[in-house]
Amino acid sequence: MLLSSISFILIFLPVTVLLYFLTPRKMKNIFLLIASMVFYAWGNPVYVILLLLSVGFNYVCGQDIEEKRENPAKAKGSLIFAIVVNLLILGFFKYYGFLMQSINALSPVEIPYRELVVPIGISYYTLRELSYVIDVYRNETKAQRNFVCLGLYISFFPQIVAGPVERYADMESSLRERTLSLQRLGNGAMLFLCGLAKKVILADSMGILQEQITGLQIGTFSTLTAWLGCAAFAFRFYFELSGYSDMAVGLGRIFGFDLHRNFNYPYISHSITEFWKRWNISVAAWFQRYVYEPLGGEKCEISRQMWNLFIVGILTGSLYGAGWRFLWWGVYCSIFLLMEQLVWGKRIVRLPKIVQHIYAIVIIFTGWAFFFSPDLSAALDYIGVMFGFGASAVADTQALCYLLTHWLLFVLCIVGASSRGMSILHSFIEAPRSRQWKTVVTCVIYIGIFIISLAFLITGELDVGLFIQF
Amino acid sequence: MKNNQKRKRRQAKKGFSVSRTEVFKYIVTAAFLVYVVLLLLYTSGSTKSFEEVAGGIESGITTEKLVKQNKQSLKRYYGLNSADYDGVLLYTSKDSISAEEILMVKTKTDRQVQEIRDAIQVRLDQRENNFENMAPNQLKVLDKAQILVRGRFVFFVISEEAQEYSALFTKSL
Repeated sequence: MLLSSISFILIFLPVTVLLYFLTPRKMKNIFLLIASMVFYAWGNPVYVILLLLSVGFNYVCGQDIEEKRENPAKAKGSLIFAIVVNLLILGFFKYYGFLMQSINALSPVEIPYRELVVPIGISYYTLRELSYVIDVYRNETKAQRNFVCLGLYISFFPQIVAGPVERYADMESSLRERTLSLQRLGNGAMLFLCGLAKKVILADSMGILQEQITGLQIGTFSTLTAWLGCAAFAFRFYFELSGYSDMAVGLGRIFGFDLHRNFNYPYISHSITEFWKRWNISVAAWFQRYVYEPLGGEKCEISRQMWNLFIVGILTGSLYGAGWRFLWWGVYCSIFLLMEQLVWGKRIVRLPKIVQHIYAIVIIFTGWAFFFSPDLSAALDYIGVMFGFGASAVADTQALCYLLTHWLLFVLCIVGASSRGMSILHSFIEAPRSRQWKTVVTCVIYIGIFIISLAFLITGELDVGLFIQF
Repeated sequence: MKNNQKRKRRQAKKGFSVSRTEVFKYIVTAAFLVYVVLLLLYTSGSTKSFEEVAGGIESGITTEKLVKQNKQSLKRYYGLNSADYDGVLLYTSKDSISAEEILMVKTKTDRQVQEIRDAIQVRLDQRENNFENMAPNQLKVLDKAQILVRGRFVFFVISEEAQEYSALFTKSL
């Protein structure tokens, strides 16, 4: 099931929230765990067993590591075993098909293999599991003795499909005790609706435009059209991921959890380094904490630092999907991160803000071409058109037509991708002087957002989105 | 607590240091392996081409009462565009009061599997509504309908021989 599907919004969510509030305090975690399993089983029930086995495995491993803490070598061995098994599961389900395809592409003989559908959210829940066992090993948290609590941390339905990736230590107290209130319910619902609108109004509409443009034959469209296609993808991807993330945080708030926001207006960045800190924050923080720092981080030699950044870039890219294009994107970002750190970072800071911003947007948007193109050569061809090579013209009537028919959507996306969007929304809410009127205006605005989103959902075909391959 | 200490002491005496959690750890790991093998056996798809699998199915089904539909029919019956998929095989009944139908689709991406399943469910509900008044005897045939998903292959059959045809599909993979 998806957070943006009609069945979730109109059936699953209201029923779950109602029953959750009626459930006795002691039973709330069990109820949420069952709800999470139902949610996960909706599309492909067979993978619920994988999820439960995965929870069980990490539950036992956490305790095993804790029991061996007095003997560091044994504890380390146990941690390595847990990490290897978790990575093997992730590798098998997510990358096995990709690996076989790559081998077949090189091999003169076609090796037959059995394809498996990738379990939804496997990357996200594996990252959470790894965070748990590593934190137990580092003695930053105690091993969880309650299977339900750990199961809920790993499979909590709002965040299982698209994150954010919360650290176990950050969620531990909420798993034991959490506050529920009508105010939290209201705030959570508002955040959920904002996320829903981002996904179904902005991301899905941009998706249609992007697929139209990026589906064109190279050489038949202009440079301006190529940039419009790239911008459409950039907004689609951002609003989809941040939309799902907002929905997850909002739902978390409703159920009493404080999940962290995952995106901090990444397109207002002035450099790639800044973008990296604003984009998918929980995943970047995970790699920083569990990969980059253990490898030496910034405390080692420059050559080693370069290598570490490169590794993190590739791993982050490969998390988005099993395919070369994601790896190329990771490599591309790593190169610019390195260049900013070692070569031109200090010079860029001295430039006017607007130039810095243009620089960052050009690099970020160009990088998305690796993401949406089927392979490296197609990506390079597309990037070529963006910079005038192989383009039919610099600008043509087709590009103007796209602009004229989609200008409002672009304006909404530009405003929505900056903090200006929320401040405009708040200025409407805060306009009335009396508190009662503020409440009325808030209700009207959010009910309006809900009705428009629902209309988009009912009239359009549900785009399951790009994130589902994570 | 006492039991735990006793157990640890007993283990230390024997020079045997495998704890209960460690045993559970290996049991769950073994369960993973069994699960993966079962998944590969019963739910995995195939890298065979669509034509190969379709050929295997067509060679085993009785097509006397069926008519092979063209690609546009997928839109008419299921609301889906055949160009979006790797391949589509659709047979419907020649007789308008027979519910018999066979569909096989190979999707291009994992994401498309769910949309096919949803479209099949809608079609199945429609057929049940249609035949409820028109030909109630066909409801028994509709009850035998099967939907199988193996990797990116989705197979749907409404027939008296639904079980045999499903087995044929699995064998063709």
